[in-house]
Amino acid sequence: MEVVTLSRKGGVARLRLSRSDRSVNVLDEACMEQLEAHLGTLEKSAPQLLVIESGMPGCFIAGADLNIIQSVTDADAATRLAERGQALCRRIEALSSPSIAVVDGACMGGGLELAMSCDHIIAVYGEKTSLGLPEIKIGIHPGFGGCVRLPRRIGWPQAVEMILTGRPVDAERAHRIGLAQLACHPEQVDDAIKHLASSGKANRGRTEPWWFHIWPIRKLFFYKVREKALARFRHLDIEEAYPSVPGTIDLLEEIYGMSDGLAYAREAGSLGKYAVTPACKNLIRVFFLGEALKKQEMVRKGKPVAKELRRTAIYGAGVMGGGIAWVASRDGDVDLHDITGDALGHGMKLLAKLARRDSKRFQRIRPAMDSSGLASTDVVIEAVLEDIDVKKQLWADVESAVRKDTLLLTNTSSLSVSDQQAGLKYPGRMVGLHFFNPAPKMPLVEVVAGSKSTKKSVQTTAALAARWGKFPVVVADCPGFLVNRCLMPFMSAALQLFECGQKLEHIDGALKNFGMPMGAIELADRVGLDICHHVGSHLSESYGKRMAMPLWFDQMVEKGVLGMKSGRGFYLYEGEKRLGMNPELSQYLKLKSHREKEFDANLADQDDAMTDKKIVEACLLPMLTEALACLSEKVVDSTEHLDAAMIYGIGFPPFRGGLLHYFSTIKKDELRHSFKSSGMKLPANLEVIYE
Amino acid sequence: MAVDRKATGSNREVVVVAGIRTPMGKMNGCLEGLSAVELGMHAVRELLARSPLTRDDIDSVIIGNVIQPTDAVNISRVISLQAGIPRQVPAHTVHRNCASGMQAVTDAAEKILAGRAEVVVAGGVESMTHAPLLFHDRFRRAVAGLQRARSIPDKARAALGMLKAPWKPRIALMEGLTDPVVNLNMGQTAEILAREFNISRREQDEFSVQSHQRADKAWEDEWFSSEVMHLFAPPKYAAVHRDEGIRTGQNMEALAKLRPAFEKPLGSVTAGNSSQITDGAAMLLLTYREKAEAEGWPILGYLYDWAYSGCDPARMGLGPVYSSNTLLSRYGMSAKDMARVEINEAFAAQVLACLKAMDSKQFCTKMLGAKAAVGAPDMDRLNVHGGAIALGHPVGMSGARLVLTLLRQLKHDTGGGLGLATLCIGGGQGGAILVGSEPWKS
Repeated sequence: MEVVTLSRKGGVARLRLSRSDRSVNVLDEACMEQLEAHLGTLEKSAPQLLVIESGMPGCFIAGADLNIIQSVTDADAATRLAERGQALCRRIEALSSPSIAVVDGACMGGGLELAMSCDHIIAVYGEKTSLGLPEIKIGIHPGFGGCVRLPRRIGWPQAVEMILTGRPVDAERAHRIGLAQLACHPEQVDDAIKHLASSGKANRGRTEPWWFHIWPIRKLFFYKVREKALARFRHLDIEEAYPSVPGTIDLLEEIYGMSDGLAYAREAGSLGKYAVTPACKNLIRVFFLGEALKKQEMVRKGKPVAKELRRTAIYGAGVMGGGIAWVASRDGDVDLHDITGDALGHGMKLLAKLARRDSKRFQRIRPAMDSSGLASTDVVIEAVLEDIDVKKQLWADVESAVRKDTLLLTNTSSLSVSDQQAGLKYPGRMVGLHFFNPAPKMPLVEVVAGSKSTKKSVQTTAALAARWGKFPVVVADCPGFLVNRCLMPFMSAALQLFECGQKLEHIDGALKNFGMPMGAIELADRVGLDICHHVGSHLSESYGKRMAMPLWFDQMVEKGVLGMKSGRGFYLYEGEKRLGMNPELSQYLKLKSHREKEFDANLADQDDAMTDKKIVEACLLPMLTEALACLSEKVVDSTEHLDAAMIYGIGFPPFRGGLLHYFSTIKKDELRHSFKSSGMKLPANLEVIYE
Repeated sequence: MAVDRKATGSNREVVVVAGIRTPMGKMNGCLEGLSAVELGMHAVRELLARSPLTRDDIDSVIIGNVIQPTDAVNISRVISLQAGIPRQVPAHTVHRNCASGMQAVTDAAEKILAGRAEVVVAGGVESMTHAPLLFHDRFRRAVAGLQRARSIPDKARAALGMLKAPWKPRIALMEGLTDPVVNLNMGQTAEILAREFNISRREQDEFSVQSHQRADKAWEDEWFSSEVMHLFAPPKYAAVHRDEGIRTGQNMEALAKLRPAFEKPLGSVTAGNSSQITDGAAMLLLTYREKAEAEGWPILGYLYDWAYSGCDPARMGLGPVYSSNTLLSRYGMSAKDMARVEINEAFAAQVLACLKAMDSKQFCTKMLGAKAAVGAPDMDRLNVHGGAIALGHPVGMSGARLVLTLLRQLKHDTGGGLGLATLCIGGGQGGAILVGSEPWKS
């Protein structure tokens, strides 16, 4: 198949990338081969001008083929891949004729590196135009010469930032920082080419600021960069989790002032090293998991209907409701309802904080205190009190005011969707849509089909969530759904460890070292102990003791020790800031801990401090058991969806590739032994994680 | 009484489908964080959300505004787009000083009568808080000189000129409230009326107390709660519903303490018996009867006829007498025939002067050419839920607010009848509009 076409007209040669087998251009084997072949022709008879452009709408080149990087297992092979790309770029650079890349659409990773090898880049204004080097996000760094060429175009400080954050820029910004020589509108592309062609081969001086040449200042700069980049990973073993982050900084610092040949060789060598790390493989896997969720069949089928939904009404202006309002205002009008002015005012204030950079979006959110506007609403989402009577009353009121095809979504975390459907006139349109806190940040949503939900409603809901930039996972209507159901045993296990005398900081620290965004006990504090207690007792009704919060938990809640919101929980808080351990804790469980220990044979031997590994194991095995139970009960469709849900919903460390994937890297016997030694039953379908 | 509505010359009957207004906030008060555009945007958005029609039904947007913000010079268009009205719907801004909001409503009605539009959003908006501070014209000239200067000595000279030019800002709000023709502040024109009609300080203060008491009671009775929307204004985003200017327990003693605001020390017009400088927006949705009935839209009330007339700029407060006489004499009626009357309370002295003029045979025969006194409305039918002295007078908005509140009174309080809304206009004009809550019957 031809993916690159070469055409000549007058003195202008055009390399046009376009393909029918994918929705975007990628630098895969076929593309590379054909580019190389065409370059051979061009080298033999150089044109006056070379233009590289894309025939795909909304995409220049989306990057290198991730599948190739995913499958590489040998560092030398990976290095050779990078060298091949580098060679290609250097040949474009070395052509005697000036070259121009017309970037209209996504231009990522290898695509941008290819564009940068041209003398000029034209960035075409458009929503989809974005230029960036996101390699760091999949655990590697630019490998086709991007680490050398980007600093040359936009200066070191900017380039280091762009490479380390992986954040893309739009056409306007690309022009401003010097990445693109010209930004223009689509109609002006021909004029822009003519304009740039007259300036011939680029002869760009270096654009670093003067201070960058001074050795100690440069050293200080990189020291600061390193400090800032690693601050987020302080608790992690960086060589295991994100080795490419310090690696990229080292690389950049080293290649400053190096001759091109050496710098390219160093870049390729370093890429080879990081491309074969498990972290890289896992991060790519996670990226694919997310993409798969966005492109799953449910989403595809619901898209046509979801596209038409414009007006959303949200009930409850709390943190959750406000967050959902922000999500929904991405591309439509939102009415935010609440009963009291105070609650609504508080919600609007939170939203205004989010809206600091996007006042247009804020203007699409209308606060409302009566049922106004419901008649023309397409979607209603409730995020009110978790009380079945309150919700049922709300739905009865709402249904009398909305059209009969309005989608009704409940953001419940513990109540059953089917229960809420009872009493509705048209229950088929009600679906659960469970967001995670904070809604604007957490990428996962659980789409819950109630017993009466129609297939079409579920599909529309999933597609709507995808439209809002979320990853929808379709789960069954069981108590706790998928994520909270798996989370509760995890939290419960951590509390048990605490009860048995492990230190708070030790438990949370071990989990953070493992890569969780926060420790289980701190998580309980942040969620709110009253809510944990409520959810725990609710879930334990259905699943038994493994979900329950310990007894002394009641006393804490009764005494108003509610976690972060009350300033004290297991830890003390000052606003959002965590201080030390709460010294009053001993009064709630001093006696308990001794007594429990005598009876609890499983944990009796854990008198002394456990190793980190043991703590993580003790917390994660119950989670794994629950996850496997969910799989066998068909709460979730596939192991991939389950892994994605854990990563995007509760922040299971992405560099470990997901809950099941992580355990699949542990040997079967070892895993069996762990189950046995912690006194847990071996899950019947343990085998699925190895499939 | 068979009435030929010759002035309108059309068979259509203009109806108001829905109306809403924001609460009114004192200058630099609770609505300080909202610009005029935002106030208008919130009101239009709320209006559309509460009415059954869709945005595609709208043919035109007309909004009145006095202190036109420099960053949104056709404020109506900016509001219209920000409120989500489709871009193909045209929008324009109208200006007739204090009657700008009423002008927008009557312009919309005329468009509908002429068959040039079917559904129009009309209203008024004002943020007096955001009236700008201006540079002196000599300062402007110096800046222009600096831009023109090429050589270094020229530049230095121009820069020096800039330093020497007056830096003290001119207050646009005060300049806007001064009539340049007779060079009198609006308050001074009220002082003239107080003197000529022999209206004492005590009478003015009593009228003001009554305005506060009526407005306060109306809020206590929740009469306003469906007329006024909630606003959540930055930076606190606390809910604002009640009009900020109303003083519960306003009394004569407190008012007596105030010093004259415009003519010290002998004047009688004070800050307490004048309308308040405020921010706010009011919006109405207009169409004609057949359309509303065919679509099944609710009808709040009807707009029958309207009139504007000119008078002495130095006595602009008497504008309502002239305009309401022009309007009502077309039908052989007087203010006494109205179930409810709203005279905008620019100043207590001004409203009282209007009432006295209407009751004065001498005034009516001489100035209006009538045979006898036209007759003033009874106090229990006039401004029954308070007026601008208590609620506030965002200049561009008040005209639309009067129509809205009057229609609601006719619908909910009197259950029918005719109403008259009239106001005085800086520069020596008066505006009046005749409305009812049911189709015009003979």
